[in-house]
Amino acid sequence: MKKALALIFVVFLFSVQFLNSYGIQRFPKPEFESGYVQPETLMPDPRSEMLAILDIAVLIISLSVVSWLVIKKRNRNAVFWMSLFALAYFGFYREGCICSIGSIQNITLALFDKSYLIPLSAIIFFIAPLVYTLFFGRTFCAAVCPFGAIQDLIAFSPQKLGSRINAVLGVIPYVYLGLAILYAATGTDFIICRYDPFVGIWRLDASFGMFVFGGLLLVTGIFIARPYCRFLCPYGVLLNWVSRFSRKHITITPSNCIQCRLCENSCPYDAIDMPVTTKNPDNKRTMGRKLIFITFLIPILMLAGGWAGSRLHEPLAGVNAKVRLAKQILNPVTGKDQTETFEIQAFKSQGKQQKQVFAEASEVLHKFYIGSWILGGFIGLVFGGLIAGWLITKHRTDYTPNKGTCFSCVRCVDYCPVKIP
Amino acid sequence: MMTQTKPSEKTIRLLQSIAFASAMLAFVLCILISVNYFQVKSSDPLNSPVMKSMIEKFKNSPDDEQLKSEIRELDLLARKAFFTNQWQIRTGGYLLLFSVLVVVICLKTIELITAKIPVVPGEATNNFWDLRKINRQWVAYSGIFLVVVSLLFAFLTHNELGKTLDLAAKSTGSNADSTKVAANNDISLAQADSLAQNDSTLTGMQDSSASAPILDGYPTQQEINNNFAAFRGPGSNGIVFQHGFPTNWDGKSGKNIKWKTAIPLTGYNSPVVWNDKIFLSGANATKREVYCFDLNSGKILWQTLVDKIPGTSATAPKVNGETGFAAPTLTTDGRRVYAIFANGDLIALDFEGKKVWAKNLGLPKNHYGHSSSLVMYRDLLLVQYDQSGNTNVLALAAKSGEQVWKTSRDVKISWASPILVNTGSQTELMLVAEPFVISYNPATGKELWRFNCISGEVGPSLAYADGVVFSVNDYSKLAAVQVGGTPKLLWESDEYLSDIPSPVATSKYVFLPTSYGMMICYDAKTGEKYWEKDFGTPTYASPMLVDGNIWQLDKKGIMHIFKSDKTYTSVSEPALGEGSVCTPAFVGGKLIIRGDKNLYCIGK
Repeated sequence: MKKALALIFVVFLFSVQFLNSYGIQRFPKPEFESGYVQPETLMPDPRSEMLAILDIAVLIISLSVVSWLVIKKRNRNAVFWMSLFALAYFGFYREGCICSIGSIQNITLALFDKSYLIPLSAIIFFIAPLVYTLFFGRTFCAAVCPFGAIQDLIAFSPQKLGSRINAVLGVIPYVYLGLAILYAATGTDFIICRYDPFVGIWRLDASFGMFVFGGLLLVTGIFIARPYCRFLCPYGVLLNWVSRFSRKHITITPSNCIQCRLCENSCPYDAIDMPVTTKNPDNKRTMGRKLIFITFLIPILMLAGGWAGSRLHEPLAGVNAKVRLAKQILNPVTGKDQTETFEIQAFKSQGKQQKQVFAEASEVLHKFYIGSWILGGFIGLVFGGLIAGWLITKHRTDYTPNKGTCFSCVRCVDYCPVKIP
Repeated sequence: MMTQTKPSEKTIRLLQSIAFASAMLAFVLCILISVNYFQVKSSDPLNSPVMKSMIEKFKNSPDDEQLKSEIRELDLLARKAFFTNQWQIRTGGYLLLFSVLVVVICLKTIELITAKIPVVPGEATNNFWDLRKINRQWVAYSGIFLVVVSLLFAFLTHNELGKTLDLAAKSTGSNADSTKVAANNDISLAQADSLAQNDSTLTGMQDSSASAPILDGYPTQQEINNNFAAFRGPGSNGIVFQHGFPTNWDGKSGKNIKWKTAIPLTGYNSPVVWNDKIFLSGANATKREVYCFDLNSGKILWQTLVDKIPGTSATAPKVNGETGFAAPTLTTDGRRVYAIFANGDLIALDFEGKKVWAKNLGLPKNHYGHSSSLVMYRDLLLVQYDQSGNTNVLALAAKSGEQVWKTSRDVKISWASPILVNTGSQTELMLVAEPFVISYNPATGKELWRFNCISGEVGPSLAYADGVVFSVNDYSKLAAVQVGGTPKLLWESDEYLSDIPSPVATSKYVFLPTSYGMMICYDAKTGEKYWEKDFGTPTYASPMLVDGNIWQLDKKGIMHIFKSDKTYTSVSEPALGEGSVCTPAFVGGKLIIRGDKNLYCIGK
């Protein structure tokens, strides 16, 4: 098995190289002297509404079936086959678009930009998994999301990371979510889509960087199960929050836990909470003091985060097209051959006034200033919340899936000797 | 006796073998694809030395049909090789993905059919509560780390961009308001604004006001349009993007003459103006000077002697009387003023008249005297230096005078000046000399295109409008050439020709002056002659398109102002009262005319 894993590792690395080959520049068009007119580049027609409804139907049916398989049937194999279907349909057939993770940005942009007409499918893809999660836990992650499916498929040798690494890396999705919302709200970019690590694999076409990112994640995923889902996915943050309140979440045991400990290491995602059998060494008074401290600390962290974020608003805004253009006009940059950048060339062809460009860029910068305060405050709140979360512990007697981080993959169920006939 | 293996073990071995074989196949495919990919990436068939040399050869003999077909065959071969490689990569890619898929399926199947035996893990070494405390600490540390990194990054990258943008928006706004042309101009208001704005990015956005944070560098196009920084105005193309100029004056009675000041030394260069300063030069065989006049009063603010430049020849150049020692018009970027003389002395002075840098380009081998005027692109001073046996164009750093690029030109000696125009997709530096009109990238000096359409000792500069460049010379022809990668002759005429004054063009018309006093109007696109007018007086100054009118100053100092239209309609013919051979400057509602002896400011 180890040899095979080593081979897979090598194969993935080379795949990255192969896929990059499509990212190279096209061959220049030939020049005709015969009067032949080059055909105009045509944009493909938008996907028909019927097919969009089909996507929604497939999503709803998949969520329903997977939820039923997870909660009622508790069948790992069936969940695995459903995940392959998701990989085929939402991944390779739909080429990763539309997806629930990216829909965060559509929703955000629709809230901040009245002129943006959000597609119905984007709304449904955003809401439906959250609704199902509220009732059944993260069954969407289990076998409906193609991101999860492809990573789940190659998690051949998952290793435990340890709680502190999980705790620290678990902060990243919050930061990513905040940034994604900031960039979408300011109309700058859909960074979740831009840095989608797997879209190149779905489409067999992407930039070199995207292939490298996707390839590395998949190779990492052999040993660290679902690295994207656990340490990057911004939609996972929302699902985590909602799942904590889920009505019917999967349980490891269908009946009473017999404390056999067989399931203790069954979860490749470190998402099983162990029983809390020992008493908290802190007495009630100390705990009270700590809670009061953290209550006061959270606003301070938010302010500190907001202030630090606001200091970053200019670098953050640097990727905005309007700000970038204004910067290029202010400080002209040229390519290797001293030619103007594409942005400058496009600007020239528009006949737009510089004044307008600077005013628009200034407005964007102001939005980023406000947004960076909010982003920093949010990150401060996340840190405060996480510290508080590690402080407050509910007494547990059984091995239970962590409602927030469990992907409802049903692996642990097979380890439980308690069966209901 | 053979031992019987369990069916599941057999299956597992089979699957392992298939996985291994597939993985090996994938590995081999990877290597093949990689080799193929690097081949495609490293090869640049269209720019191969063979292809380049063939193209070069073809430029010199454009009628060589055999060479043409050889180039085409080579091109086709290169394309075929490229697309075959692409096909190989793509097909190999699919095979690779398939083999990876087989590996994954096999390993997954093994995983599914292999019974997992759960084991009870050993006792946890860490206390639960200690772990939570450690987690809290780690989260706190990572938070602190994030804040420190953010602040460090912010500190390193903070550049007051917001303030800069606000300042830039304000300064650009005030300039933009005044950058308009009259509505009756047949280069329409929108077109002219568009032209100006399209060009605006070429020069960057650097404000000249003291409060602006981006001082040194080069002016915006709006600033250039609001001033008169070169021979024949912005881009040296004969078009002024300002309005409100007087059409009546009288030198004898003083009507609308704001002031007149004697010019110390003779020169046939035209005045250039930046804000309230007028610059021109004068020279004789032994002395060269640059003058700065006050626009409002006409007083000479300073005059700088140009001497002690290393490399200057002790021998004066041979010039004829009509060119003199100071024929090239100066140019300025609002920071410095630049002047070149017949002996090859080139100097940059600050606005107080102090030398910033100076150099001698070598004594020109020029039987009439060097006369090509200077023009600026961004922070580059562009010099057309077409001398006998040594024709080239060069760019010098405006700030230091260091040579940035130099391009050798396979043309004959010429006396025309360069023009700098935006052709829609880029800014081009266009030069004319027998036998070509050649366009260069002003940033690099790289040739963009050339067109064989002119002969003789070329004196008139080019005119450009709406994608068409017009070249003319005596004993040659007037040619209208559609510019671009493959320039095309639209029309030509040899009925009237010019040897000194340059034409001026709009999107509809081209106006051709002759040195013996004729003015002819053609359709710019078809060459149809609309009218001709004999002013009766020789003309050396070039016409300007201002306020929808053409302004043509003749040698007696009479300004012939007429509509830029397909029928000749005179607007007025005011007289300066002094002869002139220089092209006037138009700025801020005032005309600056260099007479034979005096400098005049005309305004309401």
